[in-house]
Amino acid sequence: MTPIFSSTSWMMRQVIYALVLGVMTAYYFFGWGVLLQIILGVVTTMVVESVFLALRGRYVISSISDGSAVLTAILLAISIPSIAPWWVIVVGVSFAIIFGKQLYGGLGNNPFNPAMLGYVFLLISYPLQMSTWQVDFLSLGQALDVVFDLSNIDVISGATKLDEVKNGLSLVGSIQQLGLHSPSQAWINAGFLLGGLYLLLRKVIFWQIPVAFLAGIVLSSILLFASNTDLYLPTQNHLMLGGTMLGAFFIATDPVSASTTPGGRIIYGFLIGVLIVIIRTFGGYPDGIAFAVLLMNMAVPLIDSFTQPKVFGR
Amino acid sequence: MADYSFNGGIVIRNPYPVDKVEIIQAPLPKKVIIPLQQRIGEQAKPCVSVGDYVLTGEVIASTEDSFGVFIHASVSGVVLSIDEQAIPHKSGLKSQCITIESDGQDKWIDNAGCSIDFLHCSAQAVIDYIQKSGIVGLGGAGFPTHAKLGKIKQCHTLIINGTECEPGVMCDDALMQFHPREIIRGVEILLHICSAKRAIIAIEDDKQAAYQALLMFNHNDKISINKITTKYTSGAEKLLIKALLGVEISSGSFAMDRGIACQNVATTKAIFDAVVDHKPLVSRIVTVTGSGVKPNNFEVRLGASFKSLISMASPSQKVHDYRMGGMMMGVDVADIQAPICKITNAIFVNNHIHKTAIQECIRCGQCSEVCPVGLLPQQLYWHAKSENIEQALNYNLLDCIECACCDYVCPSHIPLANYFSFAKTLNKQQTREQDRINIARERFEFREYRLERNKLERVKMMTDKKRVLKEKMAKEQSQKRKIAEAIKRVQQAKDKKL
Repeated sequence: MTPIFSSTSWMMRQVIYALVLGVMTAYYFFGWGVLLQIILGVVTTMVVESVFLALRGRYVISSISDGSAVLTAILLAISIPSIAPWWVIVVGVSFAIIFGKQLYGGLGNNPFNPAMLGYVFLLISYPLQMSTWQVDFLSLGQALDVVFDLSNIDVISGATKLDEVKNGLSLVGSIQQLGLHSPSQAWINAGFLLGGLYLLLRKVIFWQIPVAFLAGIVLSSILLFASNTDLYLPTQNHLMLGGTMLGAFFIATDPVSASTTPGGRIIYGFLIGVLIVIIRTFGGYPDGIAFAVLLMNMAVPLIDSFTQPKVFGR
Repeated sequence: MADYSFNGGIVIRNPYPVDKVEIIQAPLPKKVIIPLQQRIGEQAKPCVSVGDYVLTGEVIASTEDSFGVFIHASVSGVVLSIDEQAIPHKSGLKSQCITIESDGQDKWIDNAGCSIDFLHCSAQAVIDYIQKSGIVGLGGAGFPTHAKLGKIKQCHTLIINGTECEPGVMCDDALMQFHPREIIRGVEILLHICSAKRAIIAIEDDKQAAYQALLMFNHNDKISINKITTKYTSGAEKLLIKALLGVEISSGSFAMDRGIACQNVATTKAIFDAVVDHKPLVSRIVTVTGSGVKPNNFEVRLGASFKSLISMASPSQKVHDYRMGGMMMGVDVADIQAPICKITNAIFVNNHIHKTAIQECIRCGQCSEVCPVGLLPQQLYWHAKSENIEQALNYNLLDCIECACCDYVCPSHIPLANYFSFAKTLNKQQTREQDRINIARERFEFREYRLERNKLERVKMMTDKKRVLKEKMAKEQSQKRKIAEAIKRVQQAKDKKL
């Protein structure tokens, strides 16, 4: 039976609650940097959204309390490295809110996923800051030091696993020698997977997008892996590395920019999955979720108009 | 029988339940206001004048429109006025009405009815009699019954709609519980009219008492009583047919095209009253419910004011919002002096609450999950809002039944059905405009063509005339020549003789 939701804000809150588990896992591995980025992002979004709502002559309080801007900020904050300098998230969230959302007419009118638009903007503009991840747990003091650049401390940092795969492949004969095991990423992905299952259970999101998304990744990665086991990443690594689960349950399912017909959601999700594997394997960037989502956002109007469900009596 | 059901729809429990359904007889109103405008067709013409004394059941307005029905006095008394009065309408429209002041006697006109047993009357005679008795669909739509029955050909199944059209409305439930005999007899009359092989009375499975009552009085093999799952919008004709028979009436065509007749239970009872008891439609059962009153059903004379009926349902002292029809598809009514009409199946009296703020559409798709017709309200909304009718039509705007299921589940509380209703009106207007333009263009083109044709004809006529003249002249010339030659010959002959 169809559930009846009390408000759009309630739905947004559910998504935010569902993120908690994944965020806590990330905190467990990487420490305070994660939370610091989220706080910075949320504060920025509140300020930017309020200013723009006021400029556009809208009701600031009622619009900002719908929770969509906060959700955008959190999604972006957990997508970027937790040791990125403070201005990265500030710039990214501002771009996401202003160019990704408000300039299109605010909530409900944006063709692109704002968080991913912000992410791609950052990735292209600040590649260095966007590709340096730390390895250890950071205390609050350390995190503040790093993010606000207060003193010169050395954090053991490095690239992500997907980065390593991309760059390391030229040095070794087979992908198997790289040591693909990454417990932290696997656990974080598991956290988001559980959060996503909660959303499915509450029917806040429909099953089609995440299922098709994961199916797209599994199918295309199996095909690639089967063609050459030395060159291509195995399926389980595709599923448990990078932002796969976050993408499947929280990013691709953004209702505003996703396809809205039952059949369309399957096509949309599946093609995102396929594009992710293609970008990860052949593209210039280690992870491709943001690009894949934005590319498919562009295809949504077309998909929607070709996948109208059957109407009674027609 | 199998329950086929249909996609979408919502289960909504009665928000204002009662322990026991009753029908309370409302006292005779002191004054009745009877509107002359009917659901479709032209306004009826009054056949009484101010100051006339009329009897209950007397025809006070008639019509020649094939979609119109006769209008009857619902009380006996004196015609006070024939003028514009407020009618229950969402825009607070006024319309031509006949006002009758009751004399409190309720003297009935002596009505001959069909005069003989209906079984000996032809179907057409009974249909005409139904029209003269002022019967329209009492489920809420008010479509004239005779028009629906008259058009049907080769009817195989008659469906009697006993599903309550909307949650909270109990008038049909009460009717089936307290008048099962009349309903069954009414079905037999309908069977006679459309010569169907079988009749199915559809009842929602939460109306056990009504089901039992009908079962007890049904001794006719042709009539079966079917329970269907309680779900909102199963009262909609096409969806009910789908739920009962698994037949999907295609878009743009009607149930009667497939040999299926569909009538509401209240209409069926009204037909019984008219054909057997010789009583035209002068009263109906109205549910008065909501948070501001003690919910109940009342049998009330048509034309009594909303106010008089609401006062019987022990209203609370708070500020109320009034709504005619159901909570889903009804219309908000501001003026409760307005009269109860044939289509007033329920009055909702709710304590005033502030409406929840409308948020932006985030295309979450809850609406398309519940749409019983399978539309995409989230897409339609976009086009209806921007008045892009062409695109809205692509998304099958015209198939929307305005059931407001989408409104009910929308987390942003957008009044979607209102948008679609607006878009439909806009479409109608544009089509009409387009038709006018087309007609004007055709007329212009024809005129151009005619002028051109006239010119050509004139030219042809002229050339013809010229040719004829020329021929004539040539002929005359040759004749002249012949004469001259003859004269010449005669002259020569004369000369020779000489």
